Amino acid sequence: MAGESGSGKTTIARMILRAIEPDSGTVNFEGQEITNQQDHLRKIRLGCQMVHQDPYASINPRMTVLDIVKEPLDIHSIGNKKERNKLVLQALSQVNLEPVEEITAKYPHMLSGGQRQRVALARAIVTKPKVVIADEPVSMLDVSVRIGVLELMKNLQEKLKISFLYITHDLATANYIGNRIAILYLGKIVEIGPINEILSSPRHPYTQALIDSISYPDPENLKRDKKIHINDPIDVDVYQGCRFRARCPYAIEKCKQEPLLEEISEGRQVACFVKIN
Amino acid sequence: MVFLSVNDLDVQYQSQGKKVHAIDHISFSLQEKESIGIAGESGCGKSTLGLAIMKTLQENASVSGEILFDGKSILAIPDPEFTKNIRWKQISMVFQGAMNSLDPVFTIKKQFEEILKKHDFHEDYKQVIESAISSVGLPRSVLDKYPHEISGGMKQRVVIAMALILKPKMVIADEPTTALDVLVQAQIMTLLKNLKKSGLGIMLISHDLGIISEIAEKIGIMYAGQIVEFGLLSDIYKNPKHPYTFALLNSIPSLNNTTKITSLKGSPPSMTNLPSGCRFYDRCPQAMEKCKKEPPKVMTSSGFVMCWLYE
Repeated sequence: MAGESGSGKTTIARMILRAIEPDSGTVNFEGQEITNQQDHLRKIRLGCQMVHQDPYASINPRMTVLDIVKEPLDIHSIGNKKERNKLVLQALSQVNLEPVEEITAKYPHMLSGGQRQRVALARAIVTKPKVVIADEPVSMLDVSVRIGVLELMKNLQEKLKISFLYITHDLATANYIGNRIAILYLGKIVEIGPINEILSSPRHPYTQALIDSISYPDPENLKRDKKIHINDPIDVDVYQGCRFRARCPYAIEKCKQEPLLEEISEGRQVACFVKIN
Repeated sequence: MVFLSVNDLDVQYQSQGKKVHAIDHISFSLQEKESIGIAGESGCGKSTLGLAIMKTLQENASVSGEILFDGKSILAIPDPEFTKNIRWKQISMVFQGAMNSLDPVFTIKKQFEEILKKHDFHEDYKQVIESAISSVGLPRSVLDKYPHEISGGMKQRVVIAMALILKPKMVIADEPTTALDVLVQAQIMTLLKNLKKSGLGIMLISHDLGIISEIAEKIGIMYAGQIVEFGLLSDIYKNPKHPYTFALLNSIPSLNNTTKITSLKGSPPSMTNLPSGCRFYDRCPQAMEKCKKEPPKVMTSSGFVMCWLYE
């Protein structure tokens, strides 16, 4: 799920886990609507785990790695003490934190940013969830450690058959681990579908602008002009009709009406009257 | 003509009884109208380098070495004279996160006037402020607004305009696009690109090798306080020599899946407890026995690399 700050990415994650109450609409998990009933909440909060953006804030500095990773097992009363410890060790080795025994005794301040994020990932997979929501999991990490964490997520997805909801503003890393992508703009999905199709031939002007704005390391960039097709008005927030209208260079009269997501090919939807090509 | 030359610059911070060797004897030079990118991860000393050139380091920092700017030795100039003649007039800086340091209780115009007052500017305020604000593509109406009334991207442009107001020859921009949204980021880069075209020298400090390639002819790759590779950006991106540079360039995913990306193990060393020998030793896939000794500085076609592989 990609979009800029304030586009609602994190809000969606929090609504899935019912950390906040939706005004309307439903969340269905494994064929069941999730409501406020205790057993529903338990079910979603066991089967769907979260990894937050900042590994310096999301793990408790006064707990050891063992206790941090074990906490979800305690909360959901999974196994006895011995089994829990075994699951913790297993999860830590799955996220490549070796030597496992040594790591369990450590406190977060003894770990680097990349290692902390691996601890957060271990905590997320220890309950064997179906879905892990990863909210900008690498944006706080150093460039050289980022790709290692992404690689790990990709491996976990393949090996443990965990679905990932990867929330990001970075299309390139989304492409690295995702199969499908949803592009959000001011709280609306403007385009959704298979990731390689969308990134190779975007139909929504906003998706196009996002792709244009990426700079790859390339010596030719110096000579090239950077072209991003957006307007730059003072007042950009529009909540009636198409929300991208004020910045959209392709806007037409009809865009004052609300565009709905419509299917343009199998599994691919776009909310735009113009649909650039 | 050599415009900026940094020779054997060394900066150490004294912090809680510990020494932090933020910049370890680095050297590089730049021609007039050339722009340079300084790339590296957090804590590698890239911001310290910018601050050292501006002579705005904190008091617990001790600096040695030489910085020649336009033929003058900056470190030898007494501070009042530097403030009067060079800082902001010849060389200015867009500080990291500066857009968040605009004063919320003054209009943008007032904050421009403050800079001009500080630097004893006696000509027409109105005219220079308006020309600065239009050089960054903002309408004049922004001047009467308070910081909370404008967007992050506009604030960043205001801060860039502030750096440009006294028409310096060079601007040091420290992570000017970090914390901005992707589209706004690209717009700020376009702005810097245009300023560069109009003759401004830019030193762009960033962790993002992509945006550096938008404006820099030369690049210095910093790792744990040292410039481990320096030279023409085109040489280094096409043929990276230092294993760290190679790893950085190869750790960037792209939109087409053709490039193979590799990850680095480990993380950078602690700056208070640096290993002897090559600082990249622990993480280097090509480390050898002799890498435990201080690596040599080997000249390349357009710069240098600090690595035993090329000795």
